[in-house]
Amino acid sequence: MILRVIFAEIKKNFRQFFFSSRVLSWTLVLPLCNALYLYFLYLPFDPKLINLEFSNAVFALDPVGFTIVGQLLYSFFTMMILSGAIFDSERQQGTLESVLLSPANRVAILLGGALANAVNYVWVLIGVLVSWVAFLNVNPRVNDFSALFASIVLSYASIVVLGMCIEAFFIHSRRGIMYGTMLQEPVMFLSGLIFPLQVMPKPLLSISYLLPLTFGLISVRLTLLGGASMFDVAVPLCILLSMVVIFAVLAVWLIGYAEHNAKVRATLAEF
Amino acid sequence: MAFHFIRVVVATAKMNLTVTWRFFNWTGFALRFFMPIMTIGSAWILFNHVYRGALSPQFGSTSGYSDYISFITIGNAFYVFVFAAAFVVGRVMFWDRAMGTIEAILICPMSRLAYMAGVMLAAAINSIFDFVAVFFIGIPFGFRVASFNAFFFFSSMLLTALALFGIGLATNAITLILRDRTTASNTLMNLFMVFSGIVCPVSLMPYWARMISRTLPLTYGLNVMRASVLGIATADQMHELLILLILVVVYIGIGILALRLVERHLKKRALLSVF
Repeated sequence: MILRVIFAEIKKNFRQFFFSSRVLSWTLVLPLCNALYLYFLYLPFDPKLINLEFSNAVFALDPVGFTIVGQLLYSFFTMMILSGAIFDSERQQGTLESVLLSPANRVAILLGGALANAVNYVWVLIGVLVSWVAFLNVNPRVNDFSALFASIVLSYASIVVLGMCIEAFFIHSRRGIMYGTMLQEPVMFLSGLIFPLQVMPKPLLSISYLLPLTFGLISVRLTLLGGASMFDVAVPLCILLSMVVIFAVLAVWLIGYAEHNAKVRATLAEF
Repeated sequence: MAFHFIRVVVATAKMNLTVTWRFFNWTGFALRFFMPIMTIGSAWILFNHVYRGALSPQFGSTSGYSDYISFITIGNAFYVFVFAAAFVVGRVMFWDRAMGTIEAILICPMSRLAYMAGVMLAAAINSIFDFVAVFFIGIPFGFRVASFNAFFFFSSMLLTALALFGIGLATNAITLILRDRTTASNTLMNLFMVFSGIVCPVSLMPYWARMISRTLPLTYGLNVMRASVLGIATADQMHELLILLILVVVYIGIGILALRLVERHLKKRALLSVF
């Protein structure tokens, strides 16, 4: 039953949005533009390599790879944040009450919404891979494929469950898309997407460590571009795993609380 | 005729300013500064902490500038006009349709161009506030004015705003066709953000990126404005102003044509107020 709900939600979103101009713009044009923008930010410095320090080790990374890999993960993060507006969209369409009256599992709906956005992510992957091959010469340096695989899986999983939490949180809001948009620039700045985290001002670093994207960026960049092994990225991987568990539990609790609260106050379909 | 045109411009601008300030949206207002603050802050960190003040030799030799933070601040300040063109002028008819007033506006015996010019005027007035605010944001990061050439400064501002107005008209046409609130505007804003030389001199970009940047009015406007504030006004700036003038004519022409074609198409198919 849960799988059917997830699959139905993915199918619905795929049919509605996958080939729409909005999705093409958000998942293809904007990420590529953003990656170029970040890369151009480095051009005045003529960087040959970018040093990324972690756990007393220094890894020299290719600047194009640094920005593009960062953008790949960040795009996914943005899509998950914006998937938080799923209930906002249902409310706008006047279908929120029907969705919540149906005997479908709420967590499955949320997971389906998040995964539907993950399906749209195919556009980013295609765009980045094509531009990677056609225009940009990035040399990946992978020494440990299992570390790279674990980094990618845990990064994406932690971001998906965070997206579910945000979806549950936005059920109370009539401005889900606005809040999702507002989060983008601060996250770009704090996560280490633009510059290596070791130069982040100390007071802001504690906020950076609350974001799964921060650890995802560290582990994927190090394993894909810096040749790091499982041992090198053990700490960020463990943190990502903990975040997956914590955010998943939080998401289940939040959606139950949000729905109950909205029903008690009769504000579900209010717009 | 001209008087009527001006009356429409003034009336539309007045109506838009009244709506903006009477129903002031703090969230939207704050959101406009997120990108400039993030870019200037990131540039400051890269310059001072990652590269410890060392710029590439090509930065100075090809662009003529040595003050990196001022370079970035001016780029970001000027970018607010792109927001005005893309998100305000570019979505006028979309909002008219959403509010159910598009048919009334198109039935009204007024020039569409005057109506759009009025919206742009209001957006430009609002943008000047943002423009000045970004300069003030840049000061703690190290923004300094080396000189001030009023002629180049104001001509670049005016001509860029006019060229962007033309692009805004074309965006409006696309927005009407796509029936999407943000796609065309966001795409346009990103193209300008990446290829206009906001964060690095166009001469340092790859060849294909330079080709794109040559078609954008902001590229020339930014060069002239930077030269006027950072003290390197030469004959090159007159040349860039001339190109900018040509782009104004081209883009306004394209914008008017695109809007007319789309309006005719939507009227024929009775799709104007279909949402």
